Amino acid sequence: MNDTTELARKGETAAALRESDSSQRRITLMPLVDIFENSHGVTLWADLPGVTKDRLDVKVHDGTLYIEAQAVVHTPAGLRLQHAEIRQPHFARAFSLGAEFDASKIDANLKDGVLRLTIPRRDEARPRRIEVHTG
Amino acid sequence: MSDIYFGTDLFSEFDRLQRQMASLFGGFPSSIRSGRSGAFPQINIGSTDDSIEIVAFAPGVDPKNLDLSIDKGLLTISGEREAAQPEAAGDDARTYAQERFVGAFRRVIELPQQADPDKVSARYANGCLTVSIGKQEASKPRAITVQ
Repeated sequence: MNDTTELARKGETAAALRESDSSQRRITLMPLVDIFENSHGVTLWADLPGVTKDRLDVKVHDGTLYIEAQAVVHTPAGLRLQHAEIRQPHFARAFSLGAEFDASKIDANLKDGVLRLTIPRRDEARPRRIEVHTG
Repeated sequence: MSDIYFGTDLFSEFDRLQRQMASLFGGFPSSIRSGRSGAFPQINIGSTDDSIEIVAFAPGVDPKNLDLSIDKGLLTISGEREAAQPEAAGDDARTYAQERFVGAFRRVIELPQQADPDKVSARYANGCLTVSIGKQEASKPRAITVQ
């Protein structure tokens, strides 16, 4: 894939997003998630079947984490759909992030249609044990 | 209307509502073997002139744990999905959401008569299992010449 097609596609998505922002919103599916937290931060797993890395957009804006993705399943030409449990190939879900998380250090990993996000806590927000001295 | 409503994704709420309604009223009649809608994995079925195409949306399943069989016109997709374990789960680990399916699953699809069980190919990519089943020659559409 060369740079121009990549750029063209980005332009397309931007246009589509603008359109959806103004009048008709695109119908999206809410991906199912698992969310765990430990002392290091939060780990989020999201089911995004049929999504490849280039069709996945994870961003943090104004303390909100957005996950947007498009599923692409290769099917032969001339396919007539007869039964559909997933009707929309667009996934979107948003979460608000507290200030204790370090948005710049979010790690995202996509494997077999499952996205894993690790959202670390800021160092100063990690629980610490404070030694108590007597004397 | 204020954007506060639309910000929470009205349409997926709508979808959820629709699913709840369907579960209340039974929805459309479906195959006795199809199970409840929303079962894992979700399945789309389509056909072309030459084949029947089935897509099972099964993200995060190890292909080794995926079994596919055709018997007496029934396609069975079964397997197991393991739980996503939080990394380095300490005793302070907390769970906030566990919506993703975990465990063994089985879905059965009734194949149409013209499906040829000898012409099957399956492929797992990006969490989607695509099964393509050829149609028997006799069932393919043909133009009939008028004399």
